[in-house]
Amino acid sequence: MSQEEEVRALLARGKTKPAVELAKQIHKRCPTPAAEALLVDAYVGRIRSLLGLGLTMEAKALLALVRERYRSAKEKLLDIGVVVASSQGSLDELLAPLNDPAIPEERRIAIEAAIKRQVTDLSALAQCAALAPDHPLRVGAAALGRVFEAVTSGAVTGEALHLPEVSHRGPLAPWKMLVRALGCFYRRDDVACEQCLQAIDPDSVPARLVPVMRAMLAQRPVEHFRPASAALVAQVGGDLETLRNTLESFDAALARDAQSKIFPEIQRAISVCSAVCPELVDRLRQHIAMHAVRLNLPPRRVQAALGSPSIKNAHFWHLFARTVESSSEPSSVLACCLWEEFRRHAVAEGWFREDGSEAGALYLHMAELMQEVPREELAGLRRSFAANFRGFGHYYEDQPPAMRAVAAKYGTSDHYFLFPDQLFERACAIDPHREAFEQWLDWAREESDWKAADRVCAIWRRALPNDSQPLLYLMGSAESRGALDKAFGFLEHAERCDALNPEVRRAALRLLVAKAIRHLRQRKPHLAEQEVTALEALPQAQEADRPAFVAGLRWTCCMIRGDSEAVSGLFSQVSRMLESPAAAVLTCGGTAEACGLARDEIGRYLPEKNRTDSLASAVARACALGEDVGVAFSIPPGWESEILKELSEKPGKLEVRPLLALGEAALLRDRRELAYAASGAGLAKGGDTEGRFLLLRARALPEWEFERRADCLAAAAELGRRCRDMDLVDEAVELQRGRAGRRLGFPDWLDSMSGPAFSMSSEELNRVLKREKQSPKFPVYNWAPDRVPFDREAFCEDQEDELDIEQGMLDEFARLVLELERAPGKRKRPKKARRDFPSQGELF
Amino acid sequence: MNRNRQGVIAPHEDAREILGVAPNAGDEEIRAAYLRKVKENPPDRSPELFERIRDAYELLRDPRRRALHMLLSADPNAPLVSLLPAHTQERRFTGPGPWLAVLREK
Repeated sequence: MSQEEEVRALLARGKTKPAVELAKQIHKRCPTPAAEALLVDAYVGRIRSLLGLGLTMEAKALLALVRERYRSAKEKLLDIGVVVASSQGSLDELLAPLNDPAIPEERRIAIEAAIKRQVTDLSALAQCAALAPDHPLRVGAAALGRVFEAVTSGAVTGEALHLPEVSHRGPLAPWKMLVRALGCFYRRDDVACEQCLQAIDPDSVPARLVPVMRAMLAQRPVEHFRPASAALVAQVGGDLETLRNTLESFDAALARDAQSKIFPEIQRAISVCSAVCPELVDRLRQHIAMHAVRLNLPPRRVQAALGSPSIKNAHFWHLFARTVESSSEPSSVLACCLWEEFRRHAVAEGWFREDGSEAGALYLHMAELMQEVPREELAGLRRSFAANFRGFGHYYEDQPPAMRAVAAKYGTSDHYFLFPDQLFERACAIDPHREAFEQWLDWAREESDWKAADRVCAIWRRALPNDSQPLLYLMGSAESRGALDKAFGFLEHAERCDALNPEVRRAALRLLVAKAIRHLRQRKPHLAEQEVTALEALPQAQEADRPAFVAGLRWTCCMIRGDSEAVSGLFSQVSRMLESPAAAVLTCGGTAEACGLARDEIGRYLPEKNRTDSLASAVARACALGEDVGVAFSIPPGWESEILKELSEKPGKLEVRPLLALGEAALLRDRRELAYAASGAGLAKGGDTEGRFLLLRARALPEWEFERRADCLAAAAELGRRCRDMDLVDEAVELQRGRAGRRLGFPDWLDSMSGPAFSMSSEELNRVLKREKQSPKFPVYNWAPDRVPFDREAFCEDQEDELDIEQGMLDEFARLVLELERAPGKRKRPKKARRDFPSQGELF
Repeated sequence: MNRNRQGVIAPHEDAREILGVAPNAGDEEIRAAYLRKVKENPPDRSPELFERIRDAYELLRDPRRRALHMLLSADPNAPLVSLLPAHTQERRFTGPGPWLAVLREK
């Protein structure tokens, strides 16, 4: 390396003093212009070094010395002269020549270039006394200084960045582009910001900010930046990358549940967050506390690592409630306690009003949570809660007064949140909408007292007077209690607000039928005939086969009066309407039976069944009619074998609806074999209704065929989804979950043994359909031990176990299964486990 | 609302943070914030962010959905790193000092 190169290398390394010494020696040995230039460069480096150390006086003295000794380097020293002058707040000496109108062009360009490259202090330039006050440089610098301060201190308008005072070609043009870039940066107009950055002269002072700004635009880390640049990035954006890395490391420790690492990570995260993003520290503490709750970490150690307790504001209680809800064993009581605490703080902090829709949604959510608690446990739970729960007072010990004030405002005595009824009522009072009332009504209907549900509907009716649903429920409730006049009153209201509702229309028909039947049961045919006349006047009573049923009612009236001639005429009329004497027998007989007349008595007025009839068609049609008007007709026992035979010989003869009605009628009387045959006939028809018949098949199957039943339900749900028949899907899912299955006597645990499957591949679906279509015979259980439907392999995983299980035990188990299936009474679905009351222990 | 686009905002994300509104912001504030954000992030420049902003607004404009979202948006099991702004780093005003320090650093 030559000595000249050695000097340059020393300067590059910042070793300016030895560089000057070496350059002096070179210049002394060989005083050439090149050696002098090298020495001047070394002096410039030294002056910069002195300025960097804050030794401005020394720098100025050295500059004066160099200027005096090496006059030829005057131009070369211009830049450093600007730096030294501006560091002392004065550029007078350097800029004074610009006042001279006769200044040589080269000199002016050199001074302006020096300004562009070196002036960092706009105020010094703006106040330069050597220039006239209206000199463009002073005016421009003053404007730039103002805008620079404004744009880095708050939002500014686009007009403020226009800066007509600053020439595009002058030495301050890069500053103009810089303030525009800053404006775009804070407006998050990153594309425009980048365009401004590109327009900044790379040989200017503002260009020093370009890499830093580009790093911030790209959110790159600041590893290789010098201290001021790194500090700027940290202050503007926060050194989020460092915090991000810290939190990622913490998350990894949490995911591994590595407790030895978690505590140092907590300290590190809090420390880094406090440094780079102090506004996030409180929230970070709250989230760490929740992770600690989830991982069951020792509270004292967590609290020590956190440094100070987290703020118990609305966000904390919100998180806490969600933590409890998402735990593996959620406690509805604890969650509701926490939601209530959240509600209080949220109202106090202005998240929402006490009667805001958010509060309504919260009450509804709490009610849903409390519905998870078994109803029979609620009363005991409330007593126990009142006796043991002391509130969350200890959580507020180290809290700011605002938090404590919220806690003090509310007592701990109001435990309304343990009463689903009260929660629903609050929710519906704040935000009365149909879904909320429906949920409330579902809850109230399960109460033993019918008045609970009626009360809900009364409130619903007041809140939403145009809603017919509560009226229909009140009407049904009155009807079920035999209060038919009251039911008619509700019906009138329902007709006023929703006359076209099919349910309302059906209800009118159903109520008149019920009233007529009641009068006939009371042997008051003259009154019943009034209802029959009213029925005949109803347009909906003229639809489909309904006139036949009305005629059946009149037939019953005549029968009670003993008018044989009229009875005979009406029977013929019903036969004609239903195109079958057998259907007329079933309709008239079924109607009379519903009116409380004895079979023997009825039999005297009914002709023998005509053997030429298609019995299956007739029965199916009559059953469909009975289902339509809400009267269940029972199939005479002697007819079943003939219907079964007909269904097996001519499965495609019946239409879908009568077949389904036949199946329902059969199920109603527990004639599963007939229902099974009806489902088989329906499946044989194919088409879009296969799902409905699979559902019928599932319900018709004997209890011990639970696996086949589950397959049929899953396939029915899948077909329902594909045909968009959501009623079918709902029904299949309810049965699969075991809720509706209880009506059929299926034990719940059988329903949930393998977990409900609600979706099915096309391949599986076709397999189930094929199997069911190919199984026309009703399954019969064989008590022989080799027919026990259990997989021995599954029970005897190894040889040793197999030795322990004897054949007799398997038989016994099979018997037990059947006994359980036959056990009467309801079995409640196991509810989610209930945990203890809110923790009174250590705090975060 | 087009249900196909509901997935743009994850359940644990806070739509209010996307729009930059306070928890207690009313309908007018939410709409103003939405318009401001859309202006800042037009669909041709940042389509993904625009989608998020629009979905956040659609979620917040319906009081019932807004309420439900408010209740269920907090995810205590979410990674801590999710506390940091996911897409846009904050840009704080610092005054001219730190910026000028970089210029003087050479």
